[in-house]
Amino acid sequence: MKNPPSLDQLISALKVLPGVGPKSAQRMAFHLLQRDQAGADRLARALDRALANLTHCERCNTFSETPLCNLCAEPARNQHQLCIVEMPADLLMLEQARCYDGLYFVLMGRLSPIDGIGPKDVNLDKLMVRALDGVVEEVIIATNFTAEGEVTAHMIAELLKDRGLAVSRIARGMPVGGELEYVDSGTLAQALYERRQLG
Amino acid sequence: MSQGRVDRQPAYVLHAQPYRETSLLLDVLTREHGRIALVARGARRPRSDLRGVLLPFQPLLLAWFGKSEVRTLHTADWQGGVPQLSGLPLVCGFYLNELLIKLTARDDPHPETFGVYAEAVRGLASGGLLSSVLRRFELGLVRTLGYAPAFDVDSNGREVEPDVPYLCGPEQALQRWQGGPVPAQQQVIEGRILLAMAGGDFSELATRREARRLMRLFLGQLLGAQSLATRELLQSISALGD
Repeated sequence: MKNPPSLDQLISALKVLPGVGPKSAQRMAFHLLQRDQAGADRLARALDRALANLTHCERCNTFSETPLCNLCAEPARNQHQLCIVEMPADLLMLEQARCYDGLYFVLMGRLSPIDGIGPKDVNLDKLMVRALDGVVEEVIIATNFTAEGEVTAHMIAELLKDRGLAVSRIARGMPVGGELEYVDSGTLAQALYERRQLG
Repeated sequence: MSQGRVDRQPAYVLHAQPYRETSLLLDVLTREHGRIALVARGARRPRSDLRGVLLPFQPLLLAWFGKSEVRTLHTADWQGGVPQLSGLPLVCGFYLNELLIKLTARDDPHPETFGVYAEAVRGLASGGLLSSVLRRFELGLVRTLGYAPAFDVDSNGREVEPDVPYLCGPEQALQRWQGGPVPAQQQVIEGRILLAMAGGDFSELATRREARRLMRLFLGQLLGAQSLATRELLQSISALGD
């Protein structure tokens, strides 16, 4: 017994999602077609619309429906600071933390040499143009504290070295409100290695 | 349940990638079981303690179970003593990992390779001369994989003499060089430099240079058509420095 071709096509299309194998894809397809046709319709339309309307903001590279995203278009933001993050989700977290009123650049990824993701795949060219526009004075590198995020930070720091910009990296250490008793060993060890002078 | 159970095995994480919703698929180098694949269940949950432990370039003690190709991580204990790598030493660390992933087979125990790697990681973390750490690692790796000739005796079993040039290349014993053209995939090296390499002494620039060329020959042979992404990254970074 074989599935009709359009069902097979749907199943193999669902497999493009990360973490979705043949079994999950089949389960999703049956659910969409059998239990939730309205949801399937919404999903199809939303995908269509997103593909047609979304581009990358020409300044910060995040997803946007307009050439300039809302955040970049806001004149009240500090135009001299540029914070570099890996993904749009990181940008949203920083905005939620309400600690920063400058602008952003979203790399849409990180360098990962072992996975074959090199400097060309993370928009470093576009970042250079943005950071060296003459208005930006300080660059804050807020990539993740994973080995890949650290390599990305190092590469960016090397690219921006000797360009007359202040380049900094966000700090790492004990979590705020953290108790030594409950923190994991790696975090605690690094907090000690990177201790800072008082006074 | 005790099937295939391994406890407290010294190991390093070479590579980690997301797996399913909250897990990690790890490529780890262990001392007595070689390079193996492990699933760390729940390691990507926001508050997972494994997040701050399953880090590359950190000596760990791992326990796992399972008989299939991909085992399941049971516990991961922090060994400590090595600060997180950053900057250029970190890029070099990725180079070590890429070499291991491309040149060693899964489930093929190589305790000596583990020792060579552990020493290299400590070298990178302690701020030693990067090129000398890399050359010592490359030579150690090629040697433990069984591809390097002895550098202190020639093809006739005679001890290498410091002032004599030798012909040197992959998969062949050293030969006294009699002059004439150097064959492809071979290199002429002074005896004293070979002796320094045999003793793991890369303190002199000339030794590091010759070793670098020679290791390129050996690694090129072993890698075949595969290119090294980390070598390209290192080159693009050092090109920036010029």
